[in-house]
Amino acid sequence: MTFRDLSSLSLENLWRTKLRTSLTVLGVMIGIGALVSMVSFGSGIQHNIAREFRELDLFTTIQVLPSELNLEDPLSMDLDAMREASPLDDEVLELIRALPGVMLAYPEISFPALVKLGDAETKTSIRAVPSELGQRKPFSEISFGRFFESDDETSIVVTERLLDDLGIRLTDGAAPSRRARDDTTRQLTMVASGDVIGRTVTIVTSVLDENVLTRAISRTLMPTGRAPFREETVTLDIVGIQSGSMGFSGLGVGGRALIPSGTAERIPRLSFSSIWDLLDSRDGEQEYDSIHVKVGEMGELEAVGDAIEEMGFGTITLADYLDEMKRTFLLMDALLGAVGTVALFVAGLGIVNTMVTSILERTREIGVMKAIGGSESEVRWIFFIEAAIIGSLGGVLGLGLGWAVTRVANVAANAYIRPYGVAPADFFHMPIWLILGAIGFSVVVSLLAGIYPAGRAARVDPVKALRHD
Amino acid sequence: MGLEQALVVSALKKTYTKGTIDIPVLRGVDMHVAEGEFVSITGRSGSGKSTLLNLIGGLDTATSGSIVVHGRELTGMSRTELAVHRRRTVGMVFQSFNLIQSRTALENITLALAFGGHPRPTRRQRAGELLSSVGLGHRLDHTPGELSGGEAQRVAIARALANAPGILLADEPTGNLDSRTSCEIIELLRQLNRKQGITVIMVTHEEDAARSVSHRVLRLLDGVLLGEASGEVSE
Ligand SMILES: Nc1ncnc2c1ncn2[C@@H]1O[C@H](COP(=O)(O)OP(=O)(O)OP(=O)(O)O)[C@@H](O)[C@H]1O
Ligand SMILES: [Mg+2]
Repeated sequence: MTFRDLSSLSLENLWRTKLRTSLTVLGVMIGIGALVSMVSFGSGIQHNIAREFRELDLFTTIQVLPSELNLEDPLSMDLDAMREASPLDDEVLELIRALPGVMLAYPEISFPALVKLGDAETKTSIRAVPSELGQRKPFSEISFGRFFESDDETSIVVTERLLDDLGIRLTDGAAPSRRARDDTTRQLTMVASGDVIGRTVTIVTSVLDENVLTRAISRTLMPTGRAPFREETVTLDIVGIQSGSMGFSGLGVGGRALIPSGTAERIPRLSFSSIWDLLDSRDGEQEYDSIHVKVGEMGELEAVGDAIEEMGFGTITLADYLDEMKRTFLLMDALLGAVGTVALFVAGLGIVNTMVTSILERTREIGVMKAIGGSESEVRWIFFIEAAIIGSLGGVLGLGLGWAVTRVANVAANAYIRPYGVAPADFFHMPIWLILGAIGFSVVVSLLAGIYPAGRAARVDPVKALRHD
Repeated sequence: MGLEQALVVSALKKTYTKGTIDIPVLRGVDMHVAEGEFVSITGRSGSGKSTLLNLIGGLDTATSGSIVVHGRELTGMSRTELAVHRRRTVGMVFQSFNLIQSRTALENITLALAFGGHPRPTRRQRAGELLSSVGLGHRLDHTPGELSGGEAQRVAIARALANAPGILLADEPTGNLDSRTSCEIIELLRQLNRKQGITVIMVTHEEDAARSVSHRVLRLLDGVLLGEASGEVSE
């Protein structure tokens, strides 16, 4: 008997007991569907975070801090030692830039400012970055216009969120955030992005007025005293717009507007990132809270990081988190997978049950098949193939079911996150290994489930099976 | 009737064991059947007739002794070899027909052809011819439930002949049929024997019918085959 004969016999048998077959297939389908959607969720989360880390260029980024940080136990850090640590100044910046493998190193500079555009104004945080960053993600992702071409341009790249705060909604921009949408009291002007590029914004910063400060300290209790600040004004041209939407991980470019680092140096300002600045800044030397370092390739990250740590500074790299994250993901995957596997295991028992029932019903038929020349192995194959058909059919349909479930869940999840201004993401990822693995797994489970019934069918004693009633 | 031996059974013993109790059914059966012979076996119920036929058919294995069919020793064959024996060398017919209820007359026969390794494209045609040869050419697509006992037994005979075996083993083929239909079935077997030269070994309770159609009638008593009484053969 050929394999084709055996399988058509199996198919006929399954077709004869349509209801029972379809219920068993349904069981496998649900098992595989559960497994696929669970694992695809786990895989989707990892996929999104990995993609975003790539997009944010985090795999080639080192953040340098003034001293060693103990991430696992922040309380154990010696605050005095931290204050004593060598400062991150321009000298250090040059040393880091000279390290082999370092493509770009720039200090973290951001400061509060009042931004005025036309009649509108809003308080925001402005970040200064070197123009080279325009080559790298996520800064290279400009929705309209361009990034800075030099560090000394008097230009600014704004985010849609900043424009929103200024009462401007782009006719061709990304979806508005819920906060913006719910705020119906505000008058929003609809403007095309082309009309925003080229407009001039005025930046108003505060600087410490040392004359006032001295007086203020001597008269702390005098509420009528003038604030120890004065204002500085700079005008900049809008050259580009970034959507500025928060990514999946909540990470983004940071700040609501970007200006070139050279231009930033010429803007007198008060950094509000650290209270130490306020007290230390009078010694003239500029100190940074942190320095961002970009390397060319992920492989160079470790060597550069080690070199910086030898200089006595703390570093934070993605690699520090990656192992921890991998462990977490592995645990999550295992848990999700286990739930699906239990469902599939139950479906496997369903196959065994169906097959055994069918063998009990068909004992006489098996006897007949043996009497007309069927061998044990042929009988075994017929039932084995039946189990395999149930399994693979359930696997393929379950894959479809799992896919459908993830699509529906994805739409629901995106509808849920959209109001928070998070960019739409695919929460589920169905890599080819999952598709093949799910079908393979269902076939393996069904074959395992088929072993006992098929063996039992093969061992049917024809003499007993055929004995007349 | 050729001189070749289709079947030689010697000192055949079959003992069923249930727990500690031994039930000796066949206690030393000797038997010779020539090529083209029609042999009937009679005996009381429980005398071991079916057991003997099942041993010859390769459905069961002997406790001791030897069964040689067409020169091939059955005892000691592997289960796979026995399956080949069942599909090629012998065809079996039973009292309760043993057709597969869910398959039509034609499909019952194509299944046997499939087990016999008959090429798929010509199976239906061959099955149709077989059914016509037993006089059922017009009932191909009927399931056993839609056929009378006599018709079902004809299908079973056609199925037994599907892979052109030399020997037909019929275990009380008329046991479930009325006397008229019994005569028709016996006549069909007689014709297969006389016209196609198929060796027939038939177990039956109907001694008269057996005597009228068989070359010899054997009697199974107390586990041994008795008196090779010759039948009143009418050629
Ligand atoms: N598997 C078995 N275990 C134990 N005893 C068995 C078994 N099969 C058959 N027997 C016994 O063997 C004896 C012969 O049985 P068998 O079916 O061969 O008789 P038979 O001559 O065909 O009877 P009948 O004319 O009623 O068909 C009976 O006594 C039966 O009880
Ligand atoms: Mg019997």
